Amino acid sequence: MFKNSKWFLVTVVALIAVALLFTGCNQQTGETDEEGGNAASVVKIGFFAPITGGDAAEGTAARNAFQMAIDEANASGEYPYTIELIIIDDQGTDSVAVAGANQVVADPDVVAASGFWNSGPAAAASAVFKEAEIPLLIWGAIRDDLTNADNYPYITRSAPTASQENSASAAVVLDDLGYTDWFIVSDASDYGQGNLEVFTKELTDRGLTALGSEVVQEDATDFSAVVAKIKNSGAKAVYCGSTVEIASLLKLQLYEAGVTDILFAGISGMKTPDFLKIGAEAAEGALVVSPGVDLESTDAGRAFTEAYNNAGYSEPIGAYTPYAYEAALILLNALSACGDAPTPEAMVDAIINSETTGIFGTTTFDEIGQTTNVATYLNVVQDGQWMNYVNSEYANGTRSFGGK
Amino acid sequence: MEYLLDLIWSAVLLGCTYTLVAIGFSLFFGVMDVVVFCCGDIAIFGAFSILASYTILNSLGIMTAWPLLLVILLLLLIGIIFCMALGLLTHRFSIKPFEKSSALMPLLSTIALGTVIREVIGLMFMPATNGLADVVAGENAIHVVSGRNPQSFPSLLSLGGSTDTRNIIIVAVTVVILLLLFFFLNKTKMGLSMQAISQNKELSLMTGINVSRSIVITFVIGGVVLAISGFLLGNYQTIMSFDNGSMFGIKGFSAAVVGGLRNTWGAILGGMLLAFVEVMVSGYVPNGSAYASIIAFVVVVVFIIFKPEGIIGEKTVEKV
Repeated sequence: MFKNSKWFLVTVVALIAVALLFTGCNQQTGETDEEGGNAASVVKIGFFAPITGGDAAEGTAARNAFQMAIDEANASGEYPYTIELIIIDDQGTDSVAVAGANQVVADPDVVAASGFWNSGPAAAASAVFKEAEIPLLIWGAIRDDLTNADNYPYITRSAPTASQENSASAAVVLDDLGYTDWFIVSDASDYGQGNLEVFTKELTDRGLTALGSEVVQEDATDFSAVVAKIKNSGAKAVYCGSTVEIASLLKLQLYEAGVTDILFAGISGMKTPDFLKIGAEAAEGALVVSPGVDLESTDAGRAFTEAYNNAGYSEPIGAYTPYAYEAALILLNALSACGDAPTPEAMVDAIINSETTGIFGTTTFDEIGQTTNVATYLNVVQDGQWMNYVNSEYANGTRSFGGK
Repeated sequence: MEYLLDLIWSAVLLGCTYTLVAIGFSLFFGVMDVVVFCCGDIAIFGAFSILASYTILNSLGIMTAWPLLLVILLLLLIGIIFCMALGLLTHRFSIKPFEKSSALMPLLSTIALGTVIREVIGLMFMPATNGLADVVAGENAIHVVSGRNPQSFPSLLSLGGSTDTRNIIIVAVTVVILLLLFFFLNKTKMGLSMQAISQNKELSLMTGINVSRSIVITFVIGGVVLAISGFLLGNYQTIMSFDNGSMFGIKGFSAAVVGGLRNTWGAILGGMLLAFVEVMVSGYVPNGSAYASIIAFVVVVVFIIFKPEGIIGEKTVEKV
């Protein structure tokens, strides 16, 4: 059957085609996406999130929330056209994000896009949107320089930056709790490097120096050497500037090595239900900063939670799910300001001049497109669940983080 | 000193996970002269089949009703069956068709197959597991969230005790597998036949050795080793992703190359050397984790250049 190279080539090409068939299934279409719609009656918005891969829990929930807002808008009858979503699963990967961005900007009906939980893909795709002069509103990627004077006015962000998040976290762990002996672990991604820089600066600003730091590869799974290094350094606290996959494995392997008398603090990227998969005992005491305000503490937050849960989504609300919903509200607000025939050009102006009241209050944008509505709060794992730090037994002194 | 001992123990454990995959590479290469590049993916496929079975057994309440040791053996058996089946399918559809072709062809074919295996796990793990759990357990079905999310792998080898127990079992099982393999390859007729094929396939055919049957048995044994490897890795990491097989396979292949591709003992040495380099660089070089894999692969390249036959591989001279 395979006696000559022709048949071999046919077989290899067929195998690769099958592989690409599987890997290429990264575009989904929102519920409102219908074939054959009249161009004059349809306005399209691109949406990017890591719907598969290690960050899928956060990305899928964000997709749900964004879709929920768009569905509500279409059902309201307030818009003289149907709003369709082009949902791109960026897989948390730069190249996939860029390919998706090119696909979105090539569609003449697209007037704006929102996206990204991972900073690398956000940075890579921003260039595409800027060149196409189509506005991109970032809902979840936090590396500081994603919004800047060069990218303005095309790239805006409704979520806080890494500096803003880390600053809030540092105020608690460095100033209130008084930890001074730190070991920093981050990953080699843009997100990890950004967090490493920002948290190191927080230490330096207080006259402190980390006892050690390690940058691990994004696909690393064995941290035994890092754990030994942390153990050997005499650190009383570990800062993990990475996302959930690495953070959860590191916390687990610290626990397994008996390194439990230590504070484990991190950034919002690890605050997903997936972190809890390592088990209640291993996850216990992980302290993480989250953007926004505790949804249970405000009427708007509770209403969002109820609406999300009533919509029947199986994925629980993550740290950035409300931000994806708010991003949709901001774009919808901008669409309203653009009249019956919104264009990308009109949307750019409408977004940067918008004033949108959402779950966390009123969002406006500063001179580089960064939100002026900054809020953060801390969460801690207690008995296998994420909970607001101020309501936890760690805050009232019943439990302690260790390392003291 | 305690720090050094911690690092050595970490390296031994990591080395065990590399070694078993490296042995898979060595077995296949030794008998068929073919690099089966999807060894890591076959091992991870075994781990995910064990995870799916665990979810279903859990749905049925068997995990608590049956003795833990019995459940572990049952899960391992399931993983072995899946890996053996996948190994045989690999041979039938990805290697056998290219028997008379250049060695590059099965290499390419198994690389492509590895991608297919990864994506099949990512796409099918959740619907297959949840569907089967629904069928067998109805309302009591326990569901997994997604095949592409990191999955929590049960640390069964802790036997309800500490992770030290688990780590000792991982090393002990690796040693037992190696000894059994050594016995099989050197003391049984089939093992000796396999070695004969490895040394000279044409002469083996002339002496009446059933080469086809030996190759099939190689894939069966390889399947067993890779299934156990996946199971041990799952227990060691406790969190697994569908695409772990890619890096796992590369590390295993590198270990086999460093040790000597045709030699089982070389696979052990290669696996341990690679693990020790990674762990010691991470442990002793400031910010070394960022460079551990780079330096490990530099070691592989150095071996390929200066000692291509591997640490204990035999130099082959081709007469013309």
